[in-house]
Amino acid sequence: MSGSLLEVKGLKMHFPVHGGLFYRQVATVYAVDGVSFDVRPGETVGLVGESGCGKSTLGKAILRLYDPTDGQVFFEGRDLAHVHGKELRMLRRDLGIIFQDPYESLNQTHTVGFILEEPFRIHCVGTPEERRAWAKDLLKKVGLPESAFERFPHEFSGGQRQRIGIARAIALKPKLVVCDEPVSALDVSIQSQILNLLLDLQKEMGLAFVFIAHDLAVVKHVSDRIAVMYLGKVVEFSDADELHHKPLHPYTQALLASIPEPDPSKSVEEKPFLEGEVPSPRNPPAGCRFHTRCPFAQPRCRTDIPELKAGPGVAPEHLVACHYAGELKPKS
Amino acid sequence: MSRFRLDPLTRKKFARFARIRRGYWSAVILAAAIGLSFFSEVFVNSRALVVRYQGRWYFPTYGAVIPGKTFGLDYEYETNYRRLKAELAAKSGSDFVLLAPAPYNAYENDLQEGIYPPTAPSFADGHYLGTDTSGRDVLARLVYGFRTAIIFSLLLLMCNYTVGISIGCAMGYFGGLFDLLFQRLIEVWSNVPFLYVIIIVASIMVPNFFSLVFIMMFFGWMGMTWYMRTVTYKQREREYVLAARALGASDAYIIFRHILPNTISVIVTFIPFSVSGGIVALTSLDYLGFGLPPPTPSWGELLRQGTNHLDASWIVLSVVLSMIVLLTMVTFVGEAIREAFDPRRHTVYE
Ligand SMILES: Nc1ncnc2c1ncn2[C@@H]1O[C@H](COP(=O)(O)OP(=O)(O)OP(=O)(O)O)[C@@H](O)[C@H]1O
Ligand code: SF4
Ligand SMILES: [Mg+2]
Repeated sequence: MSGSLLEVKGLKMHFPVHGGLFYRQVATVYAVDGVSFDVRPGETVGLVGESGCGKSTLGKAILRLYDPTDGQVFFEGRDLAHVHGKELRMLRRDLGIIFQDPYESLNQTHTVGFILEEPFRIHCVGTPEERRAWAKDLLKKVGLPESAFERFPHEFSGGQRQRIGIARAIALKPKLVVCDEPVSALDVSIQSQILNLLLDLQKEMGLAFVFIAHDLAVVKHVSDRIAVMYLGKVVEFSDADELHHKPLHPYTQALLASIPEPDPSKSVEEKPFLEGEVPSPRNPPAGCRFHTRCPFAQPRCRTDIPELKAGPGVAPEHLVACHYAGELKPKS
Repeated sequence: MSRFRLDPLTRKKFARFARIRRGYWSAVILAAAIGLSFFSEVFVNSRALVVRYQGRWYFPTYGAVIPGKTFGLDYEYETNYRRLKAELAAKSGSDFVLLAPAPYNAYENDLQEGIYPPTAPSFADGHYLGTDTSGRDVLARLVYGFRTAIIFSLLLLMCNYTVGISIGCAMGYFGGLFDLLFQRLIEVWSNVPFLYVIIIVASIMVPNFFSLVFIMMFFGWMGMTWYMRTVTYKQREREYVLAARALGASDAYIIFRHILPNTISVIVTFIPFSVSGGIVALTSLDYLGFGLPPPTPSWGELLRQGTNHLDASWIVLSVVLSMIVLLTMVTFVGEAIREAFDPRRHTVYE
């Protein structure tokens, strides 16, 4: 797709599980198993799915924090999955990541100033004085007082720490930032503050976001487009509004239905809900991975893997991976 | 600069350590003892501290040998200050000699006619702990032996840790085949009965101080690798390391700026035990006669003399008591550090 900042093609991330007497590989975790999507400059792509479906793994594999098993990750035409050493490190100036747990992602032994100067130090840009000034600018940008510079991460609240993490991620003026559930560890009252900060920064700096969340409600508000993941695969990828109004995949429909509806006329019983456990990514079901829980599953679903392709009767960029997309009777 | 300020968590650990009294005071006393042992020449020495002779001042403690002729004696070799003191005192002029508190060095045989060593402690002679079987002052041997043992075990510790930390860190950080190869190598290497190897080596060539450190390091670096491997492996997966890598940090940057500083608490916890281990190892080698070549003052050699001459109980008592006091204090420090640095794994103080 032309005009994409990031294009992920058939990305796979399998983790070998070793065990036994001779440290043999005894199993494989198919955490991410053939994911394709793209991100355009300055847009937000939401990535939703239940816990354990491989969202974080996908985010990390995109940024090459893991070496992907297979597939390509084109960032401005360069394949991130296959560059090495210095070239990779230089490309990383244009990429950023914000983690879920701001306590874990900040080194407790460093001052906030040291942490915020780090991006510049790593890339040897600026003099020590300049770095100091830039770090203080960053503090201002994320709404922290300059006095934070001398202090240590654990002296701050969760929301403030997340601001520090955000400041570090945008320090080098990246083009793409992966936000891995940036607000789900925070108090509800602070979540919207942090989300607004991210949106403001996006507007100001023209950032593109890959916004990971397990909660479709959060993603809906911030995303231009949404990719829904289930067990290591993208099952539906579409414009956010379109996805909201015309969900094609039964899994997306179930996720949408589970969002508390402000409309009281719909009764609770009508909502389809998901039954059963999420199967283990060590041993994903054959065929459509959702067939063990899909209320519409047919015999074919157990054997044939549905491809992610344009859905019937919707916008051409609305992709879905279901054999019976569009033929299903919406349950309402 | 503020960026090198100790972070509050580390400061808290040190504060907690200071609150564990017996560990803290043991550390203070040990540090003082080690510090003072570098100036042992001032306290335990056959050379005088100050000599005033015919209007001139002499400070023989450090520096070249002052021959007896300088003080009007009839010999060219080093002045015997104890005798000089007696002579000058007899003349009752303004000349005098100020001896060190214990006026013997660790090598001289203080043999007197008609008296056969070992001699019992005597304040009149200045042999506060008596003499050993060749008439050497036990206190002097003890003090200089302490210095040898401490320097030996600190040097050994530095060598062991440098090698062990580097290899362990690399194993944990890079993992894979490198890790696997070294794991097997270390397992094999740890099973070499190293005391026997040293005994064999020592019977072929007499080791000196540095070759002994080297041999012991050769078989002793493995201890640290396991711990370093584990902590590095844990740290490597932490999100703050991933964050640094996502920013474009190199492996070297990550190891030196992030991982090593975060493993310091673990390393510090092991230091006291390594120190006492080093002292015990050197003492046992010396005891067996495979350690430092004689006449180097050493506790192991004193211990052997003492156990061979139990009738001269002052020898064995001096060295055994010193050993007990030293090792107990080191253990107190070690316990306190472990307690202060890793309160989760042990009982709660406060
Ligand atoms: N390094 C690893 N080695 C082995 N398995 C892993 C590894 N990392 C993740 N997994 C497994 O891959 C699967 C996907 O994990 P991932 O963390 O990507 O899920 P997630 O969608 O981010 O979930 P959450 O919402 O809980 O963060 C999980 O089953 C997890 O156990
Ligand atoms: S392919 Fe079959 S099992 Fe999978 S979502 Fe569609 S209907 Fe359900
Ligand atoms: Mg996650």
